Amino acid sequence: MIVTLDTMGTVASLDVPLHEVRESDIDAVKAVFDRLEDRFSLYREDSELSQVARGELSLTRASEELRAVYAAAIEWRTATAGSFTPNRPDGVVDLDGIVKAIAIREAGEVLVDRGFTHWCLNVGGDVLVWGSPWTIGVVDPADRGALLCAVELRDSRVALATSGTTERGEHVWRTGTGDSFVQVSVCADDILIADVLATAILSGGRDFLDVATAQWDVDVLTVATSGELAMTPGMNLADSGRV
Amino acid sequence: MRIRAALGGIFASAAILGIGWQFGSAAAATFTKQDTAPSTNTTSTGTSTATASPSPSASVSASASVSASASPSASPSASSTGSVSGTFTGATESTQFGNVQVEIVVTAGKITDVKALRLTDQGGRSVQISNYAAPILRSEVLKSQSAKVASVSGATYTTDGYLSSVQSALDKAGL
Repeated sequence: MIVTLDTMGTVASLDVPLHEVRESDIDAVKAVFDRLEDRFSLYREDSELSQVARGELSLTRASEELRAVYAAAIEWRTATAGSFTPNRPDGVVDLDGIVKAIAIREAGEVLVDRGFTHWCLNVGGDVLVWGSPWTIGVVDPADRGALLCAVELRDSRVALATSGTTERGEHVWRTGTGDSFVQVSVCADDILIADVLATAILSGGRDFLDVATAQWDVDVLTVATSGELAMTPGMNLADSGRV
Repeated sequence: MRIRAALGGIFASAAILGIGWQFGSAAAATFTKQDTAPSTNTTSTGTSTATASPSPSASVSASASVSASASPSASPSASSTGSVSGTFTGATESTQFGNVQVEIVVTAGKITDVKALRLTDQGGRSVQISNYAAPILRSEVLKSQSAKVASVSGATYTTDGYLSSVQSALDKAGL
């Protein structure tokens, strides 16, 4: 059974092939997304983060959850030497880069708590699976209607996030001086790590790619501006013979 | 161009480790460690935009023919590089990160596969070094396309973008 939900300016797809999914299960997942969107969306004037962006609320007086997420974003900024940052060039604090991944992670915990052992959750192109293996396609940045490849998520590689310059324009601010990428996919055991590093490698370029693969337990597939592909040895490309 | 790109790529990941390898008996190269090129540009197609200085050394060295110190494990018909086929194994090099050896598979003059035979057995830094992203042939990647996928990962799409996405088609098919 596949359930789709409009959330966070995109669409979430939940695929639960082996279980019956009740209305209450869907509501519990939706509640996670709604709560985080209500608090962090800059597209909503009444969100807490919008109040911070307008200067009506100082970070120090913001809710504990907002401060915790902001602190996590700052830690990622430090860990990635600035390749990932919650601070937009115009000075606005934008937590979109990690809030979606946090929502996916929490939604996954809700599903596990409710006894679901085999599912795939895709929110706007970031994928978290449970009960491996799952075969997941990666979009071709040159033709969004086509796939570049398919990778198998299994064992500890349960999360796959892709960042690119094709949708939403250049919403990533480049910081690197090396080779630039048009799309970066990262596999990890955690969707937040996968999502943040995909963004950071897209932003930081080749220089940060080597830092990321050395420092974190991740696998990466990059598409360079020239179209050239690079991949870490552990990335599991799907077996084309399997149907 | 493919070969050059692949060679440049091999070199990019190999240069840091100081790997010696060779390409048949016709064209072979032994690379020495180059401390000056840690962030080698792997693009050798000439279409990339201006990048930092380390890039030229890779493509120049990779396309040059120099003598080899090791012999191939298969005997190629080496009258011209266009007809070379076989599997070629580089010499094992001792590096500060452990022993390193690379094997390439050549079919009709084109590199069709690159394998790191022995990166290192030790933990820590060694394992991390062996996790570098290396260039991969597009055809290798594209082969996996025909697998049946359950979901699709892509750059964040908007609600509108979703409507025309592969994911949307998958969701519809599943309903």
